Amino acid sequence: MSSLTDIIFLLLIFFMLTSSMVVPNALNLRMPGKSKTITNQPKYLPTEIKITRKGNYYLNGSKASLLGIEKAVRNTVRERGKFSLVVIPDDNVANERVVAILDIAYRYQIDAIMTDPK
Amino acid sequence: MKKRNKISAEFSMSSLTDIIFLLLIFFMLTSSMVQINVQLAESNSKTVAPSDLIVMMSQDGKMSFNGKPVSGSSLQSRVNGELGQMTNKENASISIVAEVGVPWRKINDVIVIAKNLGIKAHIATQPVKS
Repeated sequence: MSSLTDIIFLLLIFFMLTSSMVVPNALNLRMPGKSKTITNQPKYLPTEIKITRKGNYYLNGSKASLLGIEKAVRNTVRERGKFSLVVIPDDNVANERVVAILDIAYRYQIDAIMTDPK
Repeated sequence: MKKRNKISAEFSMSSLTDIIFLLLIFFMLTSSMVQINVQLAESNSKTVAPSDLIVMMSQDGKMSFNGKPVSGSSLQSRVNGELGQMTNKENASISIVAEVGVPWRKINDVIVIAKNLGIKAHIATQPVKS
């Protein structure tokens, strides 16, 4: 009997691990008009990130890499605390390029404001 | 004659086997139900994607809602129909499962639908591969 238990236990562990692997994680999007809290007028102009059709990033008008943007965000968080990123993607850019920016915002606990490409 | 009432100290394995077997069947079924074989955008988010309203998009432009093929124009009415049957409408959320390379405008369209219907939206991601 114990050998049967061993095999079933092994299979159980296998399926437990694989079932947790297939469920994807997710980035939460906050919809406009849902929040009832009144936010204070920000002291600084928001940082603007443009994403071109080819997936190049422009941070406040100048070309930047993903690492450069992360560095800039880290420095700004250190200086000002919380701030907002305004993300302006081209409507044909691959979604993972936009998600990469949302991920940076998620990691530094700041707001990324999406603009409608249309 | 003295009668001795001895409590059996033997451990019964069969009940343990029963429980493990039940758990095994549960995990086998749940793992086969979730079918995501596409490459997703990567993020560090630990939030688990809600699975009540799933919009899947692949690179070849095909779109499906809760496993059934759907066109971009009929998606809103389909989501609305599904939403009508749900009991917990306050916490309803569309999970956007988009393969890498899907243009952002398609995801934006789904976000706009979620906004129009007054529900939340999530973008499904996979953990960052190191």
